[in-house]
Amino acid sequence: MVSFVIDGKNVQAEGGAMLLNVARQNGIVIPTLCAHDTVARSGACRLCVVEVTKGKRTRIVTSCLYPVDEGIVVSTKTERVMNVRSLVMQLLMARCPESQLLKDMAKEMGIEPQPSFRVETDKGKCILCRLCVKTCEDVVGVSAIGLSRRGKDKIVGPPFMEDSVTCVGCGACAYVCPTDHIVMESTDGRRKIWGRAFRMKACDTCGRYFAPVDQLKWISKKTGTPLSELSVCLSCK
Amino acid sequence: MKGIVENFDLYAPKLVDKEEYFSSGHRACQGCGEALAVRLMCKGLGKDTVITNATGCMEVISSLYPTTAWKLPWIHVAFPNSAAVGAGVESALKVLRRKGKIADRDVKTVSIGGDGGSVDIGFQAISGSMERGHNMIYVCFDNEAYMNTGIQRSGATPFGASTTTAPAGAASVGNKTWKKNMPEIMVAHNVPYVATACHSYPIDFINKVKKARSVKGPAYIHCLAVCPTGWRSSSDTCIKLGRLAVETGFFPLYEVENGKYRLTIEMPKKLRPVEDYLKLQGRFRHLTPDQMKQFQERVTLEYKKLMNKVKYSKSWLEM
Repeated sequence: MVSFVIDGKNVQAEGGAMLLNVARQNGIVIPTLCAHDTVARSGACRLCVVEVTKGKRTRIVTSCLYPVDEGIVVSTKTERVMNVRSLVMQLLMARCPESQLLKDMAKEMGIEPQPSFRVETDKGKCILCRLCVKTCEDVVGVSAIGLSRRGKDKIVGPPFMEDSVTCVGCGACAYVCPTDHIVMESTDGRRKIWGRAFRMKACDTCGRYFAPVDQLKWISKKTGTPLSELSVCLSCK
Repeated sequence: MKGIVENFDLYAPKLVDKEEYFSSGHRACQGCGEALAVRLMCKGLGKDTVITNATGCMEVISSLYPTTAWKLPWIHVAFPNSAAVGAGVESALKVLRRKGKIADRDVKTVSIGGDGGSVDIGFQAISGSMERGHNMIYVCFDNEAYMNTGIQRSGATPFGASTTTAPAGAASVGNKTWKKNMPEIMVAHNVPYVATACHSYPIDFINKVKKARSVKGPAYIHCLAVCPTGWRSSSDTCIKLGRLAVETGFFPLYEVENGKYRLTIEMPKKLRPVEDYLKLQGRFRHLTPDQMKQFQERVTLEYKKLMNKVKYSKSWLEM
């Protein structure tokens, strides 16, 4: 156990626990977009910044990736922190002007869009937080999507933006996406995601389409369950 | 809201909150749907929540002295006033925040109660707090009778169910009245968010709770909770019964956002016969084919009424 100070409050926590988690357990609100309990943190959205004083040095850190230490002093609401957070928010809004979530968050934090930033029109709602990439890799286990290109051209998607052969069409990436950038369209018998159309499996008992065929094949391969056992929907099981 | 994985939510369960706010080891019966529903609700609400709990099964099973299953601030109140106390807690938090006595963060007040504590006894308190527009959620866990005190009928008991105060016999069909349509009454209160839910559709339920939490104002969720003890059904059919209630059209899952009705679960094109649902429950075993037909007709009519609203209703914001 280590003891330290957050916003003037003495707290204790397991050494090595991430600052964001400890702060939230102690009722301190820190906004985040990319932090998810199931996938490893990447510090991509930069909204969780706080100020940490360790010894004589005070600096801005991302709280989601900062392990707590004995004797540190953390401030989550100083002017410096708010300035950084506001800048991050304005940059995100300039990148994704259509995102309702960003608009709502900015309104709550009292941040206006900065008119001098050039507004991007081709980035959709993607903030490049990599949650979808990590989910595809760690939770689903297929690694069908990734980040490609560099700098301002960086985008997320399947390799070369072509139809991915490894994608199983499960939609976990769309589920986890914080800003609803990833679109998944389902019509009877077809599901479209990342530009590729997937054939859906109809339930053997009730005939309703319930999952992409490729996803069932992948589950069968991964778990060793025969495909015949997976051909019934949850309601008919 | 993300309704995309509702059909085959295989990866979604891996991505929901892993923190438990309603711990195991409580005294609920085997196969209790309500305990499961409460656990799911807490996952949707998160840590910054205050819960007020009307008397009922949930209070009895979760807080046997000196233990508690709750990892959230929780207050047990009398049978009728869960919503009234919730309204008070909400107002108090608002004032303390304004005076700077507590940190300025979004703490949601959630009142819960069974069907007896919501549809009958606690009705006026809910009506009052919804009408006054408190920033709170009311969740009714509807197991269709006063199960805690020994299966007496309530306003939410469906037609034909045999209960201890409406027993079926030579001269009686059991409960003679139809289930009170509580969500509809809440829509009539101009509540911005009203939804029906069931523990057998966990992702759908969690999504609805999250949506209700984000509403600035009152929200109401009516959750069907299967009670194997009171329904005289086998405890392993708890989840199945919840799904059957939805698939037969007896308890369709929908949400009403600012007056706009929307089905949240893809319903089968042809509904299953309601008999599939009834025959698994001992409380309906005395029903004759004629009475089953009567039951079916009523379910079909209610479903048609709902589908009509789904088709034609518009959001108040667009009017």
